[in-house]
Amino acid sequence: MHVIETRWMSSSASSAAYPLYTPPMHVIETAGLTRRFGDVTALDDLTIAVPPGITGLVGANGAGKSTLIRILLGLLPATSGSARVLGYDVASEGPTLRQFVGYMPEHDCLPGDVSATEFIAHMARVNGLPGDAARERTAETLRHVGLFEERYRDIRGYSTGMKQRVKLAQALVHDPRLLFLDEPTNGLDPAGRDDMLDLVRRTGHEFGISIVMASHLLGEIERVCDQVVVIDGGRLLRQGAIADFTAATGTLIVEVEGDPAALADALRAAGLRVEGDGRQLLLPFDGDHVLDRVRDACADLGLGLVRLERRRQALEDLFRPAPEALHAGS
Amino acid sequence: MPGADPRAGAIYDLGYRTYDGPRLGRRAAILALYTFTLRGAFGIGRRTSAKIVPLVVAAFAFIPALIQLGVAALLGSRIEIIAPWNYLGYSEVPVALFCAGVAPDIFGRDLRYRTLSLYFSRALLRSDYAIAKTAAFVTALAVLTLGPLLLLTIGNGLASDDLPGYLADHWREFPQSLAAGLVIAAVAGCGSLAIAAHAPRRAYATVGVAAWFLVTLPLAGILVEIGGEIGRFAAWFSPFDLLYGAALAIFGHTPGADSIQARADLPLFSYLLLAVAHFAAAALLILRRFQRVQA
Repeated sequence: MHVIETRWMSSSASSAAYPLYTPPMHVIETAGLTRRFGDVTALDDLTIAVPPGITGLVGANGAGKSTLIRILLGLLPATSGSARVLGYDVASEGPTLRQFVGYMPEHDCLPGDVSATEFIAHMARVNGLPGDAARERTAETLRHVGLFEERYRDIRGYSTGMKQRVKLAQALVHDPRLLFLDEPTNGLDPAGRDDMLDLVRRTGHEFGISIVMASHLLGEIERVCDQVVVIDGGRLLRQGAIADFTAATGTLIVEVEGDPAALADALRAAGLRVEGDGRQLLLPFDGDHVLDRVRDACADLGLGLVRLERRRQALEDLFRPAPEALHAGS
Repeated sequence: MPGADPRAGAIYDLGYRTYDGPRLGRRAAILALYTFTLRGAFGIGRRTSAKIVPLVVAAFAFIPALIQLGVAALLGSRIEIIAPWNYLGYSEVPVALFCAGVAPDIFGRDLRYRTLSLYFSRALLRSDYAIAKTAAFVTALAVLTLGPLLLLTIGNGLASDDLPGYLADHWREFPQSLAAGLVIAAVAGCGSLAIAAHAPRRAYATVGVAAWFLVTLPLAGILVEIGGEIGRFAAWFSPFDLLYGAALAIFGHTPGADSIQARADLPLFSYLLLAVAHFAAAALLILRRFQRVQA
C-alpha cells in the first residue's frame, strides 16, 4: 500500500531529530511470553509474530487477550519471556516505544468532569505533541471519530457510543504506528457497532496504521481484520490470514424439505458417510459424484432440495469440535 | 479491500491526517501532566462549581496578609502583628481545607476513572507520573503558603517610608519567606497526597487528610503538656506544629513563651530535620503506591 510507504519514508527522514523509527518486518514479536497471576497462568509460553495490517486477536473471555495487550504496552510485566513491539523491546524501551502506539482499553477510562476537547488535547500533549499541533490534531481526530458540537460538553453526559469514540480518539490523536483496541465495540448497539467497525477499518486501511483488535466476537473480526491470531488458555491456537480461516471446507451441507432421515438412509445405502446436524445433513465432499448422488436420491424420494452447498468455515469452528474432524480419517 | 485508494478517502474525509511533526517524549509528557494537574487543582478547565472551593479557600489564605498591609498602610509599619515568620499560625485553616478538599482529587480522579492505564501506556514511567502529579499539587499549595509571605514582604517594603533602609534591614526575609513557603507546601502537600493516594474512597481521603492536620494539633498540645520527657516529642508529629517550628528555624526567630515549641523545648533545627524526614517518607509512600498500583 502506497500510504504505508510514504508514512515510513517521511518518518525516517525526520529521524535525525527524533527517536529512530524503522519499519519492522513484524509489528509484534513475542518469544516464550508467560504471565502468571498466583496459580493462574494467563499467558503460557506464547510465541507469535504479527505482520503489519489489521490483526484480530481472538479468544474466549479469559483467554489472555487483555493480558497480552497490557504486557505489550508495558502496563504489566511478563513473568518470563520477551516481547518486541515495532522493533522496540517492551521491557527496556517502554517510554520510547509508547510514543508510537495508541491504546483503547476495554474498561471505562475517561474522566467525567472535563470536556472531550480538553481531555484529548491533554492526552495529545502527554503523547509529546507540541501545543499547536496538539490543538489541531484534537479537532481533526474528534472530527474523524464523529464527535462534533458535543465535544465541548463534559464527558460524564456522553452516551456509551460517544465515550467509545472519545476512547478511540485519545488512542489516535498522536497518529500512532500501531493501535491496540481492546473490545472496541463493547456496550454498543448494533448501529454503533457498525460505525465503530467501519471507523476501525478505515483507520487501518486508509491511513496505514497497524491495528491489533481484541474481540471475542468472531463476526467482528471477520468483517474488519486481514489476519487472525487465535489464543486459548494463554496459548497460541492458530494464526494466519483471515482467508485461511474462512476457506471452503470438505463438507457438503444438504437441506431438504421433508424428512431428512429418509434421505440420510438412502445416501448411506449408496455408500456415503452422512452426519445429521438438526435439519441439515453433512457429507464429506470428495468430488462431483457426491452432488449427483444427493440430487438423484432427492428425486427418488420426492424431496425438495432446499440447499446444497460446500460449507465455508467460520471462525466459530475454531472453538467447537468441527464435523470435519469426524471425517478426517476417511 | 474497501476504500483502498487513500486519495479517494482524503477527498471526502478531511478529518484525519497523518502527523510527521516532532514527538517530544518523556519530558513533555511530564510537563503536560504537571500543567493539567495544576490547572485542575484550581478547577481551571472544569465547570464553575469545581472552581469555587479551591479559589475561595486560596483567597482566605491571603486575608491575614491583606489585613496586616492595610493596618500598616493606615498606621505606618510600626505595628507588625502578622509577619512571614508566624504567618502559618494565621493560615492553618485555609491550608488544611485546601489539602483536604483538593488533594483527594489529584490521584483520586485517575484511580476512580481508571485513567491510569492511559497514562501508563504513554511515554511515561510510573515514577514520572507520581512526581509530576505531586509537584503540581505542591505548586498549587505553594500559592497559599508562599504567596501571602511574598505579598507581606514586598508590601511591607513598599509601604515603608524609607525603602532602601527597609531593604538593608529586611532583605533576608525574602529568601527566608521563599524557603519557608516551599517547605510548608512540600511537607503538607506530599503528606496529604500520601494519605489520599492510599484511601480507597474520596470521603476517606478527605477525612484522613483533615485528621492528619487537625486531630494531631490538640493531641500534640495535650501530650506536650502532660507527657513529660517523652510527650514533648509529639510536637514533631503534628504537621502544623512541626511546620511552624520549621518556619521559626528558617527565620531564626525564637518561639513565643506560650507556644508549643517553647513548651516542648526541642532544638529549633530539629523541626527542619523532621520536616525533611516527613517529606521523604511521604514521597516514598507515593512512589511505592504507583509502582504497585494496577493500571
